[in-house]
Amino acid sequence: MRVGLFIPCYINQLYPKVGIATLELLEKLGLDVYYPTGQTCCGQPLGNSGYEEDAKGACQVFVENFKEYDYIVGPSGSCIHHIKEHFDILEQTEAVINVRKNSYELCEFIVKILGKTNLGASFPYKVGLHKSCHGLRGLKLGSCSERMDNYYSTEEELLKEVKGIELMSLTRKDECCGFGGTFSVFEEAISVKMGKDRIQDHLDNGVEVITGADHSCLMHLDGLLNRNNQPLRVMHIAEILNSSI
Amino acid sequence: MSHAKLAEIFNKDEAKVNWHDKALWYVREKRDTAAHNVKGWEYLRDLASGIKANVLSNLDNYLVEFEKNAQSNGIEVHWASNAEEHNEIVYKILMQNNATKVVKSKSMLTEECHLNPYLESKGIEVIDTDLGERIVQLAKEPPSHIVLPAIHKTKEEIDVLFQEHLGTKPSNGDPQYLTNEARKHLRDKFLKADVAITGVNFAIAETGGFVVCTNEGNADMGVHLSKVHIACMGIEKIIPKEEHLGVFLRLLARSATGQPITTYSSHFNKPAPGNVMHVVIVDNGRTEQLSREDFRSSLSCIRCGACMNTCPIYRRSGGYSYNATIPGPIGSILSPGMDMKKHSSLPFASTLCGSCSNVCPVKINIHEQLYKWRQIITKEQKQPIVKNTILKITGMVLARPKLYAAFGISVRWMLKYAPRFMVYSKLNAWGKARELPKVENGNFDQWYKKRKNNG
Amino acid sequence: MVILINGIKKEKIMGRSSILKSIKENKPTLISLPEIDVNSFEEAINLLETFKKNVESVGGSIKELDQIQDLDLEIKNCYPNAKRIFSQISESALGNVQISEQTKPKDLENLDLAILKGVFGVAENGAIWISDEQFSIRILPFITNDLVLILQKKDLCLHMHQAYKIIASRERTFGLFISGPSKTADIEQCLVIGAQGAMSLTIFLV
Repeated sequence: MRVGLFIPCYINQLYPKVGIATLELLEKLGLDVYYPTGQTCCGQPLGNSGYEEDAKGACQVFVENFKEYDYIVGPSGSCIHHIKEHFDILEQTEAVINVRKNSYELCEFIVKILGKTNLGASFPYKVGLHKSCHGLRGLKLGSCSERMDNYYSTEEELLKEVKGIELMSLTRKDECCGFGGTFSVFEEAISVKMGKDRIQDHLDNGVEVITGADHSCLMHLDGLLNRNNQPLRVMHIAEILNSSI
Repeated sequence: MSHAKLAEIFNKDEAKVNWHDKALWYVREKRDTAAHNVKGWEYLRDLASGIKANVLSNLDNYLVEFEKNAQSNGIEVHWASNAEEHNEIVYKILMQNNATKVVKSKSMLTEECHLNPYLESKGIEVIDTDLGERIVQLAKEPPSHIVLPAIHKTKEEIDVLFQEHLGTKPSNGDPQYLTNEARKHLRDKFLKADVAITGVNFAIAETGGFVVCTNEGNADMGVHLSKVHIACMGIEKIIPKEEHLGVFLRLLARSATGQPITTYSSHFNKPAPGNVMHVVIVDNGRTEQLSREDFRSSLSCIRCGACMNTCPIYRRSGGYSYNATIPGPIGSILSPGMDMKKHSSLPFASTLCGSCSNVCPVKINIHEQLYKWRQIITKEQKQPIVKNTILKITGMVLARPKLYAAFGISVRWMLKYAPRFMVYSKLNAWGKARELPKVENGNFDQWYKKRKNNG
Repeated sequence: MVILINGIKKEKIMGRSSILKSIKENKPTLISLPEIDVNSFEEAINLLETFKKNVESVGGSIKELDQIQDLDLEIKNCYPNAKRIFSQISESALGNVQISEQTKPKDLENLDLAILKGVFGVAENGAIWISDEQFSIRILPFITNDLVLILQKKDLCLHMHQAYKIIASRERTFGLFISGPSKTADIEQCLVIGAQGAMSLTIFLV
């Protein structure tokens, strides 16, 4: 099994720790992990802003870099969702079809493909799970509160096995944090208000660390936490799952 | 003004935003409880979606079938290509019946056609009889939500309004008292009206009849106390068979307010002896939306408002921020088709979280249509130069790995070393309320390279 | 844009033909209707208890009668102040308002109580079907200050799909599903029972 490691552009530049945790975690699980150094970005920020045509170049670069791997794994639900949903604008060559089919968000890859949930991690803190929208509703990483489905959550399956962790229950289980890509800048007032409300929910429920499978959401919440000096921190789920012995 | 600008103004009063948000979230929760109590809820949604898909693919035949059956039951059927024709037809019917006083139950279609100001300009009195609509009518405001028109008004505001227009005593916004007073006031209007106008929730092709759903009973109070009933419907309100009402009536009220059904689901087939019934079928841009393959299914909408109640942006920006007859998620995919210039900001007023698509009883893929409208709008509407330039350049950079690598390094350098006043200037919208990420050490590429070199 | 010239007939044809033409040109390929598998909604629940619970949750009241002879006494207990009463039930002697061919809807403005027969009830939502076979003037169930419906316990069905089967062969004039008294929550989401229609709905089950 050859695994291509996809490190989202903003994680590469701004949160390399998340990329490092992802790589170390996959290697600990005994996988052959390759990191194509020519990768740039999946193109999502452009697509969501209405410029998907201008993102075609970036999408092609992605396919070129990852076409030869059995699985493509990345620590970002929204990016993986973008690849699976919106690479439909490229000519559907065999390479494109395979890349779309074989791309997986990290948690989903570990639970569904590797069939593992206990990774020997240890993280004795009160943790609030932020169920990022594209992963939740797009990739169906979990059931969502507005649909009448049986309850499940890929992230929780992994977090429950972490030693010492206390998963806190939120008042609004899966409301959007308000990041939304360029929305965070072009609809700044609402974006900030949504983020503040999310943070308050975690605070109200005794959370010490907010985690999730999408660091874009966490980056947005982190920005607010730091500006307002709130007693919470954010941590990508890869870092929690990798925090062991 | 764009949605962003209007939303920013709305957000200046955080207490009001919290109040508005909580009120609508409460309705969303009631909807969830109601849906949980229905065995096969998701199957019902599949059925509703499938029935509407069939309707749109056979719309002309269903409309003709409806017309034939309605006419054989003594209902007069009219067709209006646009809002102007609709208003003229309604006015003609009023003139034929020497009508000067009209009572109207909730119809977003008549709102869309701006019927009230048109009739008022001709000297006709039009009273909106749904309590929420009467409130906004007295306040001279448009409805801010399609099901809860006065959701943005506090009870104290309504109290003052009723004191002024209904002569009520100050009551600190006592809902019971105010509703009772409105009942007396509206009863007087019902008794004096010449003509009643209603909307149509569902028109049935098979029978030529139609259904009007209310909780207050105001549609029926109006219709059965006058001799003339005018029912206005968009072409897309048709359903094939009466049995399909079983699906739609199980979904509608639960999705809208969390009730199992509205108090009154009135089935009109024939006018009462001695009375007349008219149905006005309206296009007004709907056949054009029908031509748009990506957006066609937005015509399935049964106007429940569930998407508005679940939308985290709608709850925190209010209906007026959309500046459209139908606001919220569904409004954002219907409106650009009618006036792209005016409504170009609406598809961007979303994080594409997808909750709307999941609560929609007819499974319109609203969030996907929002994404698709964005691609069209950036091409057809002039975008702000800064936004356009930055995004196009970004596209170029991301397609060139070496350029991207250099770009990444320079951005990181800027964030690490540029003085705070420069980084957090007025130009930095992110930095208005948030800190930018801290940059430490190298990026992932550099770490990986180092690790590789170290063996 | 159509300009009115000679009156309605001309504009009707123009609007109609252009709309139908536009639909024909723009509609997608035919998608067939889905089959409704009603068995998916089958539930082994107590129809009566579910119906009663739902009536009460929508603001209605339920009174169970051991025998129909108790009806008038019970109605008088519930509505002691009702003076002008109309009854379309032969089992009730309380009616003192007459409705004839000459009665105009507005004449019923001051009706206190209407006593009507409910044809059948729907357990899932506490709704009852009534039509103008049960009341001769359509305004009756709405304009009355309070409404009483008499319903046979055996006349209950589970859900709306069954309901539509039951009324499928009726003569179609005017009818409605009525669920509880009129209500509104338009003032700050506070539920107020009694809006423009009847202020209360009491169902007598026999």
